[in-house]
Amino acid sequence: MTEPIISVQDISIRFHRSRRHRSLRDLLFKGESGVRAGEFWGLRHISFDVQPGEAIGVVGRNGQGKSTLLKTIAGVLIPDEGRVNVNGGVAPLIEITGGFVGDLTVRDNIYLAAGLHGMGKKQIAASFEEIVEFAEIEDFVDTPYKHLSSGMKVRVAFSVVSRLDEPIMLVDEVLAVGDRAFREKCFERIDEMLSQGRTLFMVSHSEANLTRFCTRGLYLREGTLVLDGPIQEVVDQYFSDSGDEAALRRRHERRMRRMRRLGLLNEEDEEEDDGDEDNLRTVV
Amino acid sequence: MVDSSYTRSPVARMRAIWGARKILFLLVRRDLKVRYANSVLGYMWTVLDPLLMSFVYWAMFSILFARNVPGDDPYIVFLLAGMLPWQWFNSTVSQSAKALRSSSRLIRSTNLPREIWILRVVASNGVEFLFSIPVLAGFLIAYQVPLHWNMLVTFPLAIVLMAVLLTGIGLGLSVLTVMVPDLDRLVKIFLRLFFYASPVLYSVTKLPPDLRWVYVANPVADILQMFRSGIFPHYLEWTHVGYTAVVSLLVLALGWWLFARLERTVLKEL
Repeated sequence: MTEPIISVQDISIRFHRSRRHRSLRDLLFKGESGVRAGEFWGLRHISFDVQPGEAIGVVGRNGQGKSTLLKTIAGVLIPDEGRVNVNGGVAPLIEITGGFVGDLTVRDNIYLAAGLHGMGKKQIAASFEEIVEFAEIEDFVDTPYKHLSSGMKVRVAFSVVSRLDEPIMLVDEVLAVGDRAFREKCFERIDEMLSQGRTLFMVSHSEANLTRFCTRGLYLREGTLVLDGPIQEVVDQYFSDSGDEAALRRRHERRMRRMRRLGLLNEEDEEEDDGDEDNLRTVV
Repeated sequence: MVDSSYTRSPVARMRAIWGARKILFLLVRRDLKVRYANSVLGYMWTVLDPLLMSFVYWAMFSILFARNVPGDDPYIVFLLAGMLPWQWFNSTVSQSAKALRSSSRLIRSTNLPREIWILRVVASNGVEFLFSIPVLAGFLIAYQVPLHWNMLVTFPLAIVLMAVLLTGIGLGLSVLTVMVPDLDRLVKIFLRLFFYASPVLYSVTKLPPDLRWVYVANPVADILQMFRSGIFPHYLEWTHVGYTAVVSLLVLALGWWLFARLERTVLKEL
């Protein structure tokens, strides 16, 4: 067994529910643990090790601590208890457009953002062409970043961050943006990086993506790690747990359709059929 | 490299900051670039504000109240030599109070030592200060004011002390403003009052002797005197310099401690 590349040791993170946080005096002079009224554990006693080259998918409903876990591994959140050790650089595809400035041109921005993530000047110059080509923005290299469309912005950002030569990638649902063709390109890029032996850490709700890239799954519920196992097992568990949710959504869609039929909603709002048509007839 | 325990030891923090020095340069360069990218006058803005203010005060005190010029002669040189470092102090303090909030997107997407975001404000305003020095030099030549040799020591030393003091204030203030947003307004008011309470417009030597200790106690006043002592050598007093150095280091230690203590909570708030 080799040395783990990510080692998460019993971490917990506390958040507060209300607007008020603890008084400054408490924060400064008391190292107290535990939660008080109005506080809750966003993550509680999470422990796991990741070996180099593993691809891990994190699942769980909204607000159960997936992004918090990713941010803690990226080092942009500090756990209240426990410890995270990451032996290597991280390419965080979390809030990827964060390092970009609207007033500067795309070219300047690529240099700046790549530099902020630790790339050297020569290195950037060497992969500049590749970055531009991947983002398909050859015609806009000298346009101020703010004038790009939002899809283009994400394309540039993804293209820069995915070019970082780091052994660990963190992906937090950024792939939901961008058109279909570009998304496919992103997936190919991730595949390519995986085949180079990098470690992937991914948050997603899409079963297809999870099973395509990941080998191991982590299932978070209410801040605790419920299941850590092969991805298919974890995904199955997750979907069977959230079954109620899916039923609820179907019922909502049915109601929308009925309203549309009565002329209360615009036809434009129509969503794609999900094969529920038969059900619908019996209800209406 | 992420090791959450590095939040504890100052040595590890120092090492992390040193490791990110290239990125700090990059950020400072970016700040200057952004500041000048969209403006027609560009560099002029760096000097225009203190220059115009200096002219206003110069006109007021050496034309309107000509009998009681509150500073040394030539008064415009005296004013500028105080106004330019004051500008550095003023803009750094007000910007560093907002530093963490205004770069929150960057903080959330990159794993850099968080002190960088304050050091960057101190440094980029410091560079702007240096850029504005040629204007002062121009006035020195125009009025044929000789420089004293001690400026070779006092000028760099004053810059270092100012940077240390500002880093301390900035580190402390930046985390406190995230926790107590009202502080931002308070800082603005305080800075305006502090401007008149510091010897920018007037010289300490023209004040009643009973009051002088207040100015000796104020480290900013001492630093301003140091900046001026290359032109007006009678301001140089090494005991004051020593006192300022101690106070600046203490402020840095306190600010850094506050920063380290509140960092974890602040990250959740951003």
